[in-house]
Amino acid sequence: MTAQPQVGDTIPPLERTIRLPDMVAYAGATWDWYQSHYDPDYVAAKKLPGPIVDGQVFGALLVEMLQDWLGPQCFVQSIDFTFRNLMFAGESVRCEGEVVAVTDAHVDVTMTVTTLGTDGRPDRFAVKPASARVLLGRADGVGRP
Amino acid sequence: MLTDEIRALVGQQRVYTAPEPFGAASGRYFGLAIGDDNPLYRDPAFAQEQGLAGVTAPPTLICETNQYSGLPMDAEGYAGHRWGIQIENTREVRGGNAYVFGRRLRPEDVVTATWEITDAVEKTSGSGAAMLIVTSRATYTDQRDEFLAENTETIIFIDLGGQS
Repeated sequence: MTAQPQVGDTIPPLERTIRLPDMVAYAGATWDWYQSHYDPDYVAAKKLPGPIVDGQVFGALLVEMLQDWLGPQCFVQSIDFTFRNLMFAGESVRCEGEVVAVTDAHVDVTMTVTTLGTDGRPDRFAVKPASARVLLGRADGVGRP
Repeated sequence: MLTDEIRALVGQQRVYTAPEPFGAASGRYFGLAIGDDNPLYRDPAFAQEQGLAGVTAPPTLICETNQYSGLPMDAEGYAGHRWGIQIENTREVRGGNAYVFGRRLRPEDVVTATWEITDAVEKTSGSGAAMLIVTSRATYTDQRDEFLAENTETIIFIDLGGQS
């Protein structure tokens, strides 16, 4: 577990490459078999460069980043994220964030998800802005906020 | 774009109740699929050491899955909730999501999702294109009507201005 967060702290980033098999697994795990997320022929007919990563996975990755940072005694109470650009099969993203407010009970953060180019450098935002409130010192929630 | 027909959609609801408990495997599967190896999703002893009753699911799964819907797959493979809004000569894009969580999901939870269209508004994009922004909210509850989570999402219809 990390030390008590402070305003201005940066969150250890999370990077992930999302390959077509990952997208097939995600489609199965979410019961979402929409063809644009895994079918090369379908997306080619739509004149897209490749299968589109389901944007909601970015929310899952941001929560993973927060929980990896704060440890099991935390609870993500809220998170919001705005989509900017599509991500395609085989690309990589970097999730990043910074602490903007802290109390004894919670930490507030702002975050981004950036799609990386083949050189590993930032290419375009997949998500911006994003923010979250994470409860501290507890593994579960408190009911409806 | 904001026609009377679209305005009439605001306030409409759809309710789906899962035919069975959520199950521990669903959370473990989702963790594997996204590459999140957090033991809270697969190790009951670890979860209990943290004060939980047992394993849970990655928090966002409840807002991402169609598991509860019981709907058949459509022609493009989609088997989840949709409002079926079709607007000619527009491109449909997703704006974003906002989730609120009341507690962690438990394998024995039987999820009910109540979807509602909460807003429909017409705006102009930075490039001057007309846009219709439709906001929906899903509220997830368990078999005792206890609040689990809420998912507010926006879908944007962008006028193609005669292009297709």
